[in-house]
Amino acid sequence: MSIFSAISTSGTGLSTFRTWIDVIANNMANINTVKPTSGAAFQAQYVQAQDVAAGPDGVGAGVSITGLPLSSAQGRLTYQPNNPLADAKGYVRLPDIDMGEQMGNLIMAQRAFQANAAVVDRARETYLDAINIGKNH
Amino acid sequence: MLDDVASVTLSTALSALAARQRVSANNIANIETPNFRAGQLSFEDSLRQAVSSGDPAQATVSITPTSDPAGINGNNVNLDTETLTDQKTALQYQLLSGAMSAKFGLIDTVLKG
Repeated sequence: MSIFSAISTSGTGLSTFRTWIDVIANNMANINTVKPTSGAAFQAQYVQAQDVAAGPDGVGAGVSITGLPLSSAQGRLTYQPNNPLADAKGYVRLPDIDMGEQMGNLIMAQRAFQANAAVVDRARETYLDAINIGKNH
Repeated sequence: MLDDVASVTLSTALSALAARQRVSANNIANIETPNFRAGQLSFEDSLRQAVSSGDPAQATVSITPTSDPAGINGNNVNLDTETLTDQKTALQYQLLSGAMSAKFGLIDTVLKG
């Protein structure tokens, strides 16, 4: 346990959920990215996270990202014969991204980020109180 | 000088409350982690017993998983409860650190006259 560890614990939450928001932003930006059928479609990224094991005091140390798995490389085969990237049969690959799922995840990530930011504020107040023990008389 | 029952009780309670806030911070950091079980910290009963036996330093803190039902991803962190616990703990900490300062203030009065 380091000094002010409640703040660093919430910090792990902040960076995990910020990464999640970044990943969703990238997925959404590429929702219409067309790729030729000769290669892989644009693959959406997902955030895989797990809790950080408890230290000697038995209190867990937050959350950490363990990987960014990708969605299917096959994507959705779409018939777009006028697309310059289309193959001989007129097909291209679009990413297999569900806009509703991404938006739902975005809201979860955003709310979780806010919850962790609020914890940082409260932990800060507590540490200030601790620092001020014996001062205010 | 500060090894009387009241002072030791205050400092034991302060460190237990700080630990409780770390538990809340960890629970909220893991609010979306699949299969994570929220923890809760209890020390009040143990501290009460230790105070009545005359040695508050014997009090122990124990962290146990909560029994709340888990959601579809196996996670049972409840943001309402955690926020409430965290806020309440911060206020309790403020109260006890004020009491600690008051104790120091008494010593200050004695020393300075």
